Amino acid sequence: MAAIEEEVLASQAAKPFKMNLKPMAVGLVILSIIFFTARWYQQWAAWEYGLDATNPDFDTYWMSVFWAQIIIEPIIFVALVGYLWLTRDKHLNNLTPRLELERLMLWLSCLVVYGFAFYFAGSIFAEGDASWHQTVVRDTSFTPSHIFVFYLCMPVYIIIGFSLFTYAITRIPFFAEKISIPLILVVCGPFMLLPTVGYNEWGHAFWLMEEYFTVPLHWGFVFFGWSIIALGGLLLQVMGYLVELLGKVTDEQGKLIK
Amino acid sequence: MSLTAEEAKLLKAISVPNSDAAKIVRNFDWIVVVVLLFAVTAAFHIHFMLTAGDWDFWVDWKDRMYWVTLTPMILVIIPAALSYPLMHKLGLPIAGTVCGLCLVIGEWVSRISGFHLWAYFPYSLVWPAIVLPGLMLMDLFYMLFRNVFLASVFGGGAVAMAFAPANWPILAPYHVPVVHIEQLVNVADVIGYSFTRTATPEYLRFIERGTLRTFGGESTLVSTFFSAFVCMILFYMWWRIGQFLSNLGTIPNQLKTFVGLEADKDEAK
Repeated sequence: MAAIEEEVLASQAAKPFKMNLKPMAVGLVILSIIFFTARWYQQWAAWEYGLDATNPDFDTYWMSVFWAQIIIEPIIFVALVGYLWLTRDKHLNNLTPRLELERLMLWLSCLVVYGFAFYFAGSIFAEGDASWHQTVVRDTSFTPSHIFVFYLCMPVYIIIGFSLFTYAITRIPFFAEKISIPLILVVCGPFMLLPTVGYNEWGHAFWLMEEYFTVPLHWGFVFFGWSIIALGGLLLQVMGYLVELLGKVTDEQGKLIK
Repeated sequence: MSLTAEEAKLLKAISVPNSDAAKIVRNFDWIVVVVLLFAVTAAFHIHFMLTAGDWDFWVDWKDRMYWVTLTPMILVIIPAALSYPLMHKLGLPIAGTVCGLCLVIGEWVSRISGFHLWAYFPYSLVWPAIVLPGLMLMDLFYMLFRNVFLASVFGGGAVAMAFAPANWPILAPYHVPVVHIEQLVNVADVIGYSFTRTATPEYLRFIERGTLRTFGGESTLVSTFFSAFVCMILFYMWWRIGQFLSNLGTIPNQLKTFVGLEADKDEAK
């Protein structure tokens, strides 16, 4: 009798919750390979071939990298965002709370990849830009530093940011029902750093050839960097949502309900 | 602050050791911690390097007027804004400490990778300022007072008041006087002269004016007090901005019918 009771209870128990961390791990590995290779390439080719933009070697070793990035990145952007939109869940109204929770946790784990990409753009490569441009006189907008910070790091986190936004509004009812303004800021604020590059390069080309990093010409980057403060608002929203979801999928003892 | 019924139920559920709810919440915590560390490092570092960076990059820019005045003002901004969600909403007095720690890590990684390994500057020229003591005091005062006005006055002010004393032990040897080509300069100046920053013209390099050097140590003190005054105001302003950005809410999604959700009633009409 007891054995039968145990069997019945076991069949009624919900499958244990396991977070899917694979996309996050794959993302972190791919980004690490890209960014460390980029940094190694700078070390190898910047002093050797990157000092004079009129030198044919500059075209071979630097402009070829730039053009490759400019061609590949929009393709990846369209492919990723397009894939997420075309494979969207068309029945979000019927989504079970359990699946909703799994998707939310997967999405949050992918925010780690977004943060990782933003870190390389906003910290390592951005300050590396200071070390290069305060040392080497610039004779082009496409310097060995800019080719990676502006045209690799920034597009990479923009691709990830927009993909995460598309995932959120196509698969997670909380973000699909109404669009979170902090989420828009967390994605669009860092995105606006790329258009700011246009203003920055325009200014450097026409009135400010010498370099000091705190020049007002650079403050556009600061303004849009502040949008990350909205991450606090997003965190508060997600916490409220998690409380609501956990209430639906667990009982008072904290066990998952089938 | 009272808990809703849902929150009370969840609190009970996650208090059960090893329950599914506890495990999910723990996973959530870890993810948030990692996201915050990366995002704060990136955002705080880019904010800091583009507004006070030159003073922080180079030892010969670490003067007794602008460096001491400006750096704390720039330092207090993002920690104050993040104090709203972290301390006011979640009860975690860690915004200043987390920001300071992230900034120091981000700076050291880039000083080693960019300034030292790539541009070949010595560490003695490019070490970052010590910012943690003031930011930790900011958190401490906010935790003690639990009041934004008092936290602004004492916590915001502490960021500036602790800055020069925290940096003095490491900076003092660079301010030892040296005679260089028959001119009285200091060790930091000589290091600066030795490692030319070709793209940063000499007229942009900060060298202390004579008046500052004849005032003994007072210029640091005056700069510190002025900076503390501005930091108090900035803390309050940016705490309010953090409050605004944390409570922005939502906007209607015009595309939600594409994912099987019903259109809002107003739109259907």
